[in-house]
Amino acid sequence: MGNIIETKNLSKSFHDPVEFQALKNINVSIKQGEFAAIVGSSGSGKSTLLYVLSTLDTDYTGHIFFDGDDLSLKSKNDLAEIRNEKIGFVFQFHYLLPEFTVLENVCLPALKLAKYSEAEIRERAYQKLDLLGLRDQALKKANKLSGGQQQRVAIARALINDPKIIFGDEPTGNLDSKNSENVFEIFKELKEKYNQSIVVVTHDMSFAERTDRIITLSDGEVVSQ
Amino acid sequence: MIQKTPVIRIALTHLLAKKRQTIVAMLGVTFGIAIFIFQAGLMSGFQAYFIDETVNTTANIRIYNEAEKNRKSILAKRDTASSKWIVVQNQKPKDELNKVKNGYQIIAALEKDSRVSGVSPFLGSQAIFKVGIAQIAGRVSGVDIIKENILFDVSKNMRQGDITKLQTIPNGIILGDGLADLLGAKMHDNISITSPLGVTLEMKIVGINHSGLTEVDKSRAYINIRNAQKLLKVDGSYITDINIKLKDFNQAEELAKFYHQKFGFKTVDWKEANASVFSVFKIQNMVTYLIIASILIVSGFGIFNILMMIIYEKMPDIAILKAIGYKDSDIKKIFLTESLIIGVLGGLLGLIIGFLMQKIAGSIRMDIKGFVSMEYLRFNTSPAFYLFAYIFGLVATSIAGYIPARKAAKMDAIDIIRSK
Ligand SMILES: Nc1ncnc2c1ncn2[C@@H]1O[C@H](COP(=O)(O)OP(=O)(O)OP(=O)(O)O)[C@@H](O)[C@H]1O
Ligand SMILES: [Mg+2]
Repeated sequence: MGNIIETKNLSKSFHDPVEFQALKNINVSIKQGEFAAIVGSSGSGKSTLLYVLSTLDTDYTGHIFFDGDDLSLKSKNDLAEIRNEKIGFVFQFHYLLPEFTVLENVCLPALKLAKYSEAEIRERAYQKLDLLGLRDQALKKANKLSGGQQQRVAIARALINDPKIIFGDEPTGNLDSKNSENVFEIFKELKEKYNQSIVVVTHDMSFAERTDRIITLSDGEVVSQ
Repeated sequence: MIQKTPVIRIALTHLLAKKRQTIVAMLGVTFGIAIFIFQAGLMSGFQAYFIDETVNTTANIRIYNEAEKNRKSILAKRDTASSKWIVVQNQKPKDELNKVKNGYQIIAALEKDSRVSGVSPFLGSQAIFKVGIAQIAGRVSGVDIIKENILFDVSKNMRQGDITKLQTIPNGIILGDGLADLLGAKMHDNISITSPLGVTLEMKIVGINHSGLTEVDKSRAYINIRNAQKLLKVDGSYITDINIKLKDFNQAEELAKFYHQKFGFKTVDWKEANASVFSVFKIQNMVTYLIIASILIVSGFGIFNILMMIIYEKMPDIAILKAIGYKDSDIKKIFLTESLIIGVLGGLLGLIIGFLMQKIAGSIRMDIKGFVSMEYLRFNTSPAFYLFAYIFGLVATSIAGYIPARKAAKMDAIDIIRSK
């Protein structure tokens, strides 16, 4: 099995307000179809790593290979296309367009990709919402949903384009144990049935322990993987 | 409803979330375009009318003879080869100073020219008009009225009477309406005209004419060219001007040069003859468009302002869209679309309001008597003009929208996400 993502001596520093190295010489690789958890104490650099891996943050040194390609050689537009087609992202804080309906929010990445017709996109969006138990909320405005519901809409949105890899920054942070369990099952199924890779930052050790692999960060360094 | 291009949907959502500011920004554009339509429409409508009235009362080409100021003496003309000094004291201008020699032969030649659609001889003179005790100095234009009519459509401007009477009635005269008013003269009245040479002719008013040019209407009368020759005590071949109408008036400049070479007399084309008017128009237009441009700049600031507000408020939206794969250019499109929506709708409303302003102002009787006389204001109402105003407005809005749009496109998604 090939690596969907691989880093070589990946480092990142913040310069403002003071020089601070948030990621130190990180060498990790995630295989296609792998379900990995990233753990570590608060401030250890988990979110920072996820942003860099998901191509959003390009201010780093070292190399990231995505699907074999060196991301540092890609243009901003290329990266946007990769994010749209191959990467799904669930943020630590749910991020939806508040004035749009749940359904519209889920459809947004697919409308950009424009691989399917509008009707098919809507059909697929309903499927994903079904998966997360939100079908009945589809036509509500996103800002009328509870925090946990919004988090699940964000997950559905991350799934809509069948990405090769899904990054989640505490995707179950706002969820009760039942919904959290559901999300875990969904991720597991995506990996098993569709060979999608999942990388999830979590503080929930019982969640982490049931994934294929745990990557532990401490002060910006990978201490075990 | 999900739209194929979420760009428009997103743009609309942003604007609807800020209804009041959006409407204010739109009204800014509306105001700008309405002023454009009204102000520039008035200006260009007036200019078109003025050109119609003035330029069309100017011949496409005029052939005339100008007094040579330093005329060589006959002696000098004969003795060109020698280097002798010839001095002739007290040389007087010749009587036939301004005569176009062989004028009627030139007219005959011109009438055969396929590029010419009309030729009219002219002999003008100063004159004192007298009706009873009323006396006014003015000018008489000695013309062949039928030919003159071909050039200047005199019959169109007849208030009373008929131009052909000038031919059929030997002592007929057609007065400008202003002149007739000043003299208190009416149709069929008798009138006497006296030339600077002291010749007096008793005439009969056979028509009243209104050219629209106030100064002209207050001072001019048409008479038959034969009567003009009598006033000036000259023979039947004496004319001072030949006016030419061309099939294509754009050829005037070129043909004026050609006739100058061919006939040896001075020629002037209509553009040259009215050069001062055109330069005044140029300045007028510049001032008008400067005013309009500044109004549209103010409208532009309105748009700029609202877009910047939306952008700061919707930073999370921008970050999400970028994170899920929308390109910088897509983001730019969203905000450009917003400014265009404001421009398109505000502009349309502006066109309508501008149109109504034109209609209302154009229906009020003004009776302007200045430069030209008009009963009503005249506006440019051509669709091309409206289109031009609209495009002008859209360009202004796009420029105003472009700066914020570019700023939004350049925003770093990750900075926004981290700062939440
Ligand atoms: N914009 C920034 N400028 C400077 N330092 C930053 C910035 N963003 C993050 N950091 C620092 O980088 C380190 C890693 O932050 P990061 O957000 O990755 O932590 P994390 O592991 O995700 O923590 P948490 O579990 O609380 O989400 C922290 O020490 C943080 O203070
Ligand atoms: Mg974090």
